[in-house]
Amino acid sequence: MDNLGNMLNLGSNSTKEERKQALMSTIAQESNIENARILIEKINEKCFEKCIPKPGGSLSSGETICLTNCMQKYMQAWNAVSKAYINRIRSDPGGN
Amino acid sequence: MDNPISSPDFSDFSDKDKKDLQSFIQNEQQKAKFQANVHNLTDLCWTKCITGKISGATVDRSENSCLENCVNRFIDSQKTIVRQLDVMGGRA
Repeated sequence: MDNLGNMLNLGSNSTKEERKQALMSTIAQESNIENARILIEKINEKCFEKCIPKPGGSLSSGETICLTNCMQKYMQAWNAVSKAYINRIRSDPGGN
Repeated sequence: MDNPISSPDFSDFSDKDKKDLQSFIQNEQQKAKFQANVHNLTDLCWTKCITGKISGATVDRSENSCLENCVNRFIDSQKTIVRQLDVMGGRA
């Protein structure tokens, strides 16, 4: 882990507001990276399972096409689930 | 490397700055929790609803409604289980 000062890319003469903004954008960025990391991990797991039922000597072109499709499909599914989940939370705020 | 985690100096931050940061972080945490739930639900519901071979890049209509139902029934299940546990706890 880098030292926080370097990570925030702060010179010693940066203003307070600059440091505050830098801290917030670093946190937001880390959070986005983590979200993307989990998504990629899940896609890899789910699409490997779907598209490579019997691993051969190399990825076939069919398997490669399947992986490309699966990846896009998984992201769509993620969005559909996210939408359904938001709707549920909105219509049912007390219940979870 | 005597001090690997040297943090920048925040000693001049006012109470308002601290409050701003606190609410920003709380918001980010809530967002992260929501996203973690969506990751978990997508994992579960993908397995339940996307059962055929991958023949294209889009989620079709029946798969889409399955995903929606999956999310809602998962939450219903969760609530039912919590309610049931409550009843059991009351009895014990």
